[in-house]
Amino acid sequence: MSRGRTIRRVLATTAVASIGAVWVAHAVAESLIHHPDVGSGAVIAAQGVAPSVPACAQCHAYDGASDGSGAFPRIAGQSASYLAKELRDFASGVRANAVMTPIAKALSPDEIADVTAYYASVNAPYLPLASPDPMLTKRGEQLAKIGDGTKDLQSCNNCHGPGGAGEPPAIPYLAGQYAHYIAFQLTMWQRGIRNNSPDAMADIAKRLDAQDIAAVAAYFQQVDASVLAATQPMK
Amino acid sequence: MAQRLKHVDVVTIGVGLTGSLTALELAKAGLTVVGLERGAPRFTVPDFQSPAVHDELRFSIRKAMMQDNVKEAITFRNSSDETALPIRRWASFLPGTGLGGSFVHWNGQTFRFQVADFIYKSHIEQRYGKKILDPDLTIQDWGVTYSELEPHYDRFEYLLGTSGKAGNIKGAIQPGGNPLEAPRAREYPTPPMKEPYFGALFRKGAESLGYHPYPQPSSNLSQPYTNPEGLALQQCVFCGFCERYACEHYAKASPQTVILPVLLKNPNYELRTNSQVLRINLDGTGKKATGVTYADATGREFEQPADLVLITAFPLNNVRMLLLSGIGTPYDPKTGKGVVGRNYTYQTTGGATVFLDEGINVNPFMASGANGTMIDDFSGDNFDHGQLGFIGGQYIGAIMTGGRPIEFHPTPDGTPKWGLKWKQAVARHYNHAVLIQQHGTSTASRLNYLSLDPTYRDAWGLPLLQMTFDFPENDIRMSQYIADKVVEIGRAMGGKSVTRGGTKRPYNTTVYQSTHNCGGAIMGEDPKTSVVNRYMQCWDVPNVFSIGASAFPQNGTYNYTGTIGALTYWAIDAIKNQYLKAPGPLVHA
Repeated sequence: MSRGRTIRRVLATTAVASIGAVWVAHAVAESLIHHPDVGSGAVIAAQGVAPSVPACAQCHAYDGASDGSGAFPRIAGQSASYLAKELRDFASGVRANAVMTPIAKALSPDEIADVTAYYASVNAPYLPLASPDPMLTKRGEQLAKIGDGTKDLQSCNNCHGPGGAGEPPAIPYLAGQYAHYIAFQLTMWQRGIRNNSPDAMADIAKRLDAQDIAAVAAYFQQVDASVLAATQPMK
Repeated sequence: MAQRLKHVDVVTIGVGLTGSLTALELAKAGLTVVGLERGAPRFTVPDFQSPAVHDELRFSIRKAMMQDNVKEAITFRNSSDETALPIRRWASFLPGTGLGGSFVHWNGQTFRFQVADFIYKSHIEQRYGKKILDPDLTIQDWGVTYSELEPHYDRFEYLLGTSGKAGNIKGAIQPGGNPLEAPRAREYPTPPMKEPYFGALFRKGAESLGYHPYPQPSSNLSQPYTNPEGLALQQCVFCGFCERYACEHYAKASPQTVILPVLLKNPNYELRTNSQVLRINLDGTGKKATGVTYADATGREFEQPADLVLITAFPLNNVRMLLLSGIGTPYDPKTGKGVVGRNYTYQTTGGATVFLDEGINVNPFMASGANGTMIDDFSGDNFDHGQLGFIGGQYIGAIMTGGRPIEFHPTPDGTPKWGLKWKQAVARHYNHAVLIQQHGTSTASRLNYLSLDPTYRDAWGLPLLQMTFDFPENDIRMSQYIADKVVEIGRAMGGKSVTRGGTKRPYNTTVYQSTHNCGGAIMGEDPKTSVVNRYMQCWDVPNVFSIGASAFPQNGTYNYTGTIGALTYWAIDAIKNQYLKAPGPLVHA
């Protein structure tokens, strides 16, 4: 082998090595950013994560509509950022819940990102529910759209968006949410048991009486969110 | 013929900040008070609720909350050799109307003036000698000192629940606050607002140059608060709609949130909205007011007799009310004699846009009206003016009050003003630009004044107010000096390009600058150079008080609401503790 050929081969190897190093560094950097995978999220929703995470679908249904009882909230189409924050709060105990806390603790950050991306992407139908008392929904509509000046209470929709459609990423939708769930959460805020959001919700919940809570809950459950969604800008 | 109504103890002309606060305190003291408000009644619920309240076209562009200038305009000219014409579309400044006045659509920026501001003339002459003053400048001392006003500033901030960090408590410098502020008795009622990313960038840049950044004091609250009147405020949600808007969230201090709910329940108080005061009535001597005459929404006129008349309108309208009522001698710029309308001042403004790398997301829409980070290193007389050839100064701060879609589209110099290239530039820079503002002193000049217009009249047939104003050269030199400092900070923040601002001549009423119109009915120690005494009592008619920023002999560096509040409490104390015991002049000239 001539000396010249040897040098050329060394140079060539070095060049390949340095290109490789750059490529590897790039790949490493890429892998540090987790891009939420809706498909993996769907698998978690359907099957859970062995051994300690049961399938989300058991309570929330595979399409996120849950069962309509209001024991479990509707999460279909809910903001991924909001759902992920709630899961982190369940995991840390900031939002205490005997069912959700162990589940959330067992999920890795990537799994949280995937499963919340999945449920955010689902467009589930609205379950047929009994019609509420019209007087109750009328009062609820007033609180939702205008508030109540005698209680220094602003409208829900100021923050939760027109018709309660949500202001993603931070603020969840209320339109079409189950009345029992809304009423239960408001009561928890009122009593200081739930306190994982800005001080605004506790303050507002304390201005509501039991009748007001029933009214807003009944109102938002029957808002036709499918109509609202069509008028909302793309998320 | 005006219908004569039942006599009351006190009438306020206007029900905004000064009108509601004076009424609250005097009604509590047992006096019967009638508040006359030219605009409509309005309350947080139902009037300020979304989505209507976030209508940028209606409120920001079409100025729905401002004085109706179809009925009542102001005429303007730059100098007295020009003919003034009516301002038919508000732009440079925005006088509010309706219950709560301009204290509804304010940004919540709540400052105190500095010690030297109140003794401005003495302070400047003592430090630099008389030669530093251009001959046209007519600055004066206020007749009241900072230490006299301190308890009233304190009381006002606690009424509002102002969120901030003290920098100087009784002379002890506090970490995290503004070390250059005037000493205060205690901490702010609530902690400062969260610092947005644009503020953090400014802080870093300013600190690298050796300046002293601090969180802007805000009356959009950082946390829930109950004020001494028992009224509760909520926490601001950073919706980005403060300036030119009402707060839907009970988070901004305004008459509706911190004063009116208590005042309107007081049986001594009666509010009359849609009531346009036409004049203050004087008795035959011209030295005593007998009440006011006003027109209701149908044009019917009423005479409201009262022992005490408080002019509590927007500052410009305080001056106009005095002129329309023949109280005090109008200022004559030719002779320099007369006082009403003299020393009208404004606020110098300016600033830079700092264009950042695309990797830096500013998210300007997450903002409140007063969540800036700022420095006072160039405010007032905080720096040595000996070699500079001007007086005064400006605060500098990254103050972004909401990246609203119609108004906010920053583009670098040289970008076309319309078309595809403009759109591309807006998309590129919207989320990667920081506004730095410079706001500051406006120096009184013998050339600038307010008077009644000789030609134009309002819907009730009364002469409009005429404004004659241009920035004195002193203020241009000052603002341009500070514009260089702003650019340096913008570069230190990592700006790829930084536009340069600063006040220029001529003053132009078609571009928004500031709603801090001051003076024209100034306070002082000598009736030859002031309209009202140190308690804002008219020298000529002692049962009339003209309260508010119209009493500022010249404007200090800061946005003026805090100082108006302090002065109002100061005047209320004088009325309650001195005037009511012995009605008559509180100061003998």
